[in-house]
Amino acid sequence: MLKIENLSATVGEGEDAKTILNGLSLAVPTGEVHAIMGPNGAGKSTLSYVLTGREGYAVTGGTATLNGADMLALEPEARAAAGLFLSFQYPVEIPGVPVMTFVRTAMNAQRKARGEAEISAPDFIKKSREIAKVLSLDPEMLKRPVNVGFSGGEKKRLEIYQMMMLEPRFMVLDETDSGLDIDALRTVAEGVNALRAPSRGMLVITHYQRLLDYIKPDKVHVLAKGRIIKTGGPDLAHRLEAEGYDGVLAEAV
Amino acid sequence: MSTALKDMIRNPTVAELELVARYAALKADARRERLFEAFAQTGLPGRRIEGWRWTDFKAALTSLDAPKVATARDPLARDGVATLRFTPSGYAAPKALPAGLKLLAKDDVQAMGGAEDAPLGALAAALSGGRTPATLLVDVSAGVPVHLHMVFEGPGAINAARVVFLLRPGAELHLSESHLGGAALSASLIEFTLNKDARLNRTVYQIGGAGEAQAITALIEQDAGAESVQTVLAFGAKVARIETRLVHRESGSKATLNAAYLAGAGLQADITTHVRHGAPSCITGQVTKGAVLDGGRGVFQGKFHVPRTAGQQTDASMQHKALLLEEGAEVFAKPELEILADDVQCAHGNTSGALDAAQLFYLRQRGIPLVQARALLTEAFIAEALEGAGALEEALRAEASAWLNHAA
Repeated sequence: MLKIENLSATVGEGEDAKTILNGLSLAVPTGEVHAIMGPNGAGKSTLSYVLTGREGYAVTGGTATLNGADMLALEPEARAAAGLFLSFQYPVEIPGVPVMTFVRTAMNAQRKARGEAEISAPDFIKKSREIAKVLSLDPEMLKRPVNVGFSGGEKKRLEIYQMMMLEPRFMVLDETDSGLDIDALRTVAEGVNALRAPSRGMLVITHYQRLLDYIKPDKVHVLAKGRIIKTGGPDLAHRLEAEGYDGVLAEAV
Repeated sequence: MSTALKDMIRNPTVAELELVARYAALKADARRERLFEAFAQTGLPGRRIEGWRWTDFKAALTSLDAPKVATARDPLARDGVATLRFTPSGYAAPKALPAGLKLLAKDDVQAMGGAEDAPLGALAAALSGGRTPATLLVDVSAGVPVHLHMVFEGPGAINAARVVFLLRPGAELHLSESHLGGAALSASLIEFTLNKDARLNRTVYQIGGAGEAQAITALIEQDAGAESVQTVLAFGAKVARIETRLVHRESGSKATLNAAYLAGAGLQADITTHVRHGAPSCITGQVTKGAVLDGGRGVFQGKFHVPRTAGQQTDASMQHKALLLEEGAEVFAKPELEILADDVQCAHGNTSGALDAAQLFYLRQRGIPLVQARALLTEAFIAEALEGAGALEEALRAEASAWLNHAA
């Protein structure tokens, strides 16, 4: 279970420090898929970065644990080894490092951190081939440098490929639908749905309800001004789509 | 020691006096004298001398006491490749040499053009001899490609060597050199003449301790249609200079001068090149990549000289990119294009900076620890500079990778 309690965080330094998360509380039980929706600037991406330990954010209060382990005390790589995965809104280009090398290095680093044996090259290639097929990824693409020259849709599919390869215990999907056409969205959603499991939790961050037609959440939370202001079932997403954030936000105050 | 000898260098340091004594002990020779004089004009070069501002041999080399460190492993050693070995106490060559290769170890010193421009090359030439050949001539003839490995290593005060290659028309030489240090001062001068259509692939691996000075000087002259590809991987020393001076002296000559340097704490690596486009329609491509840690220093000095008439239709490109991996890392760069001809294509670029924070975070979010993430990105960054080493590229990359994963 991912449990966030009263989390506050700032971005920037000294006098320029700006509070983005302001007492955010949220619990996603293992096996459930929750969605976070909210207007621009609500703190959605900041939440994903604070959870995964990106530099430039300072936690000023509260806690975040994954299956009881204090995430905020760990280096980003240790959080990953503990099973926390972020699908980036803007996946990063890594020139000179082929996708397969990158993912295998990551997989073995995580296994080493958990005290597990490395995956053999044949096993890795077999797994990679199966997953590439599910996601309709050209195997040649996996030999190219990570994200270099990839289209927006290819980058997002590659995020899902990594997720399926690494089999994390908890996934945060940050605006995975942005920049995707309807076919790509369907493929990506299929990959994500294939990972739904009783042993795995998921937090889907999105601006639009559209993605939630394909990845059906157990719960929907509305994030505004750095905290969760409303929680409901899947129907809440439809209400937001119909009434806009203004209506729901006004009601919450 | 005679007064005249003592006076050769103005205000000599202890190390310089030892160099004079060393010179005086060698067999007198008019050419040797001329070479030592060329060195003595500057003495051990240092910050007051143009071209040596950031690589101060005078300050670094206080005496010629042999450093007590184990010599580094040779990653370029391969079975079946003829190997020449130069140590402070001697020189060794295999009895059986590959077809197309002839060696001539000479006791007398050969003249060296432009000795004043390369004081440590002149010093290497002036101090070669005694237990090692004053000049080792290597004759490479056409027919089959010739593979040769040279090792410079071993404990002692000075390891001086001079090797002169002649690549006959159409000859092809694949030369690897491992400069492994071990002496207080290792100085080598390696000269190449590439006759018409000759091919040279030269790979240089350099590593040295924090108490050593190394100077590797190469002079390359190329005739029509000749082509050289040089790849350097340097880990530096207390001071280490890898200098290449190349002249395109007939048209249609082509050169690639690539280098990667990785300098850790207390170490310095200097890549200096000087290319003269002395004939029309010649091509030079240069990529130098570096990565430096806290307390380390990287130096790149590149110069293309393109004369007004001779240099027409020159095609030349110079790139230097450095990564400062930690606070306290230093990189000095001086790219120079002196172009007097008007019908040329010359490009250059020079950057230095830190690793990209977004890339580092992306790797770490996937579970790759910081040191390994930094190593992966840095290895990818320098890879382009090592591509020309052909069969030796893997060995160089493995050394770079091991250093990045452990030292860095």
